[in-house]
Order: sequence, then C-alpha cells, then structure tokens
Amino acid sequence: MAEVIEIDMRGRICPSCLLMTLKEVNEKATELRAGTIKLRVLASDRQATATIPEAVSNMGYGVEVKKRQGHYEVIISEPG
Amino acid sequence: MRRRFGLQLNLRPPSGGMAQPVSCPMNDPYPSIILASLGLGLVAGVVMHRSDFCVTAMFRDFFLFRDAYMLRMLVLLVVGSMALFEVLRWTGLVATYPFPLLGSASLTNILGGMLFGVGMVLAGGCVVGTLYKMGSGSLLSALAFVGLLTGATLYGEIHPWWSTLARATAIFPGRITLPQLLGVDPLVVIGPAVVAGTALLLGWRRRGLLARPAFAEGYLPPWRAALILAVVGALSYVIIGMPIGITTAYSKMGAWVESLFAGQHLAQLAYFQAVPLDYTPPFSHTAVQGGPGPGLDAVAAIQYPLILGIVAGAAASALSLGELRLYWRVPVRQYVAVFLGGLILGLAARMVPSCNIWHLWGGLPILALQSLLFLFGLLPGTWLGSRLLVRFVTRA
Repeated sequence: MAEVIEIDMRGRICPSCLLMTLKEVNEKATELRAGTIKLRVLASDRQATATIPEAVSNMGYGVEVKKRQGHYEVIISEPG
Repeated sequence: MRRRFGLQLNLRPPSGGMAQPVSCPMNDPYPSIILASLGLGLVAGVVMHRSDFCVTAMFRDFFLFRDAYMLRMLVLLVVGSMALFEVLRWTGLVATYPFPLLGSASLTNILGGMLFGVGMVLAGGCVVGTLYKMGSGSLLSALAFVGLLTGATLYGEIHPWWSTLARATAIFPGRITLPQLLGVDPLVVIGPAVVAGTALLLGWRRRGLLARPAFAEGYLPPWRAALILAVVGALSYVIIGMPIGITTAYSKMGAWVESLFAGQHLAQLAYFQAVPLDYTPPFSHTAVQGGPGPGLDAVAAIQYPLILGIVAGAAASALSLGELRLYWRVPVRQYVAVFLGGLILGLAARMVPSCNIWHLWGGLPILALQSLLFLFGLLPGTWLGSRLLVRFVTRA
C-alpha cells in the first residue's frame, strides 16, 4: 500500500499548485516511480485540473482528478 | 482622424453603395449603458470563471513553464476582435473610430506596461482576473483588489509629474493607430494581420495546440471563452461606444473612500478634477462626460456595472458548481505579495494609462500605438514578476 503525501494548495496564489507539485514530484521521483508513495494535491484553482495532469503525464506518471467538497483532488502515482 | 456620427448609424450595404443613415434617437443614454455593462460583465464573469481565463497566466506560464497554451488563447481573442472591430468599422456600426479615451503613444506606455506586468503576477491576476477570482471566493484576490484601489488612487499624487513626463516622451502625436501613422486605411493593415493570424491559429488547431484536457466540472474550453469574450468586446463597442475597460473606476472608488476623510486634499489633486471622457454614446444624441473623480458620471455608469457584473457572474458560476469556498490558511507572504502586487498594478494601470483588458482586448485589435507599446513593456515586466514570485512568494 503506497503512502499518500498530501499537498494542500487551496486558496494559494497561482501557480502555486503546479509549482509545488512539480517540486514534490522531482524531489520524490524515486519513491513515486517505485510506487511506494502517491501525491495528493488539493486545489481550488480550476486551471490546475488541466496544467498538473498535462505536466505530470508528460513526465510519465499516472494522474487522476476527482472533485471533492468545493475543490479538486489530483492524485499522482507511479507510471502506469 | 476620429469619425463621429453622432446619433446616426451609417449602414453601408455590401454592394458598396451610398451609406443609409439610420436614426436611433434616445435622450437618456444611461439606462442602456448601465444595463449593457451589467449584462456584458455577467457574461464575462461566468465565462472567465468557467474557463479560468487568466490573462496573467497567459504571460506568466510562458515565462515560468514555457507553456504557451493560454497565450495562444490571447492570440485567438485578439485576432477575433480584430476581425470583428474591422467589420464594425467598415459597416459603420460603431460611432467613433478609434474609440474614445485612446490617446497618442508615449514612451511612458512602455514603463507603465513593465510595472503592470510585475504587479499582475504578484497580485495573482490582472485587473479583471482579480475580479472573477474574488467573485469565486479567493481571499487573496479580494486583498489584491484593495491593493488595486489603493494604487489607482495613489496615482493621483504623482499624476502631475507623470503626465508631464508622458507629454515630454510622446511619439507621433495625433496619430493613435498604426494605420493612422502609416497614413493608410485601417483595412490595409488590419486585413493582412487577420489573414496571417487566422493562418497561424489554423496551424495550431491542426497540431492540436488549441485544446487541452481539463477535468474541472463545467469547464469551458478557453478557445470558446476567447471567442465569446471577443464578441463581448465587440458588443460593448457597438452598444456603449468602446471596448471594455475598468481601471478609471478603481481610481473613482478609491477617490470616493478618500473623499470621506481627506476631501480637502482630494479636491487639490488635478487628476481627480479631470474629465477625460466626453463623448456621445451610440443610440443617443446626448453627450456624456466622466473622469476619475468620485462623482457618479459616465465612467461610473460604464464601469461600475461591468465590475459588479464580472464579480457577480463569477460568484454565480462558482456557487452553481459548489466551488464558492473561502480558504484563508495561506502563507502570510502571499497576503503581503498580493496586496503589494495589487498596489503596483493599480498604480501602473493609471500610469500606462489603462489596463491590459483595454489595451489587449480593445486597443491591440485596432493596432493602437499605445497598446503596442504597452505590450512591449508588459513582456519584460511579467518576466520580472515571475522571477520575483518564485523567489519570494511561492518559494517552490
């Protein structure tokens, strides 16, 4: 079972969601690729539902977007 | 040369025959101006929220991520507006060309544009982006809005020497657009620009560069938003007599607040006594006037409902999607950044003069020299703002 690391970017200045996600993805690339962790990004920024999936899928990671209570959850996992 | 048709709309038949004047008299222009502004603002607010149509992101993301996707949407909006405005001019459906409030270019347009770029990145949105984000519940944008009002009002303090500098560095006085500078009919320059722009857009479309998967509920693809906003700008030009712009109203709001506790000082500031808007709106034969002073004048009638409409439209859109939530647990440095960014943005919007929406969605489509210089300054300003954002604000 992969550990889930949460990054709460709700309400923050744009483009914090994408910047912080890319930073975490790069810093934790080994664990992410090994499937030992997943990243869960919480975003209130609607554009992040387009920019994050595009960026991380281009890097080869799996990505899934879910709508939660008033915000979005972007889950980044090992390459599929 | 500006063409004024007063109360007449000159509808030129496609055959190229003589124009047939159509009289549309209306003594009180205010009801139609207020209703049109409110309606257009509501549409713009909904559209910008649904597609997250952020002009700041268009430039900022290009510099930060080499992501030109949203910048292409701006090209679409500008080319679409170019075509629409030119059709309106050619058919005589717009009363004044170029539209009111556009002045001669000055090197200060570049300096103002640079400062504007820095401010909008730090504020997390431009003068309109701040409105739709605030409407959808962003506390940071609400604070940026306060900064905007503060900056737009503070401009009154530096207006005398800044306007002197603007006059001293004026270029091609009396010539407002590139076609006027070249001494040719606008179609000679606008026509090829629209053809080249359309070819560019079609090339991007073929390569799939105008679409990107997005997973937000009720998402409106930005290319559709760009076309809708081009139509909004054209309707504003036809009904109100000019494309959308809002920052004079920011000075006006700030001046009203200042008048409550420093009325005597406000009365001494030349900027707030000026009445730069003096025109006869379409469908009317009554001239109206307005300026940045705190009174309820033509500027208030045009811009206050537009501002209200954008905020309300975005709020209604966010509410209907269940996304109107307030998140206040944000690093303090982001609160500081958006206020300072808003302040710089508001100040710069008056120094340019006018905002990015006015210049990019209104002036650029008719190749106004002021707007071209503003864009020239905006690019390095946004680059600098992006560096500052990453270095001091997001700390990624």
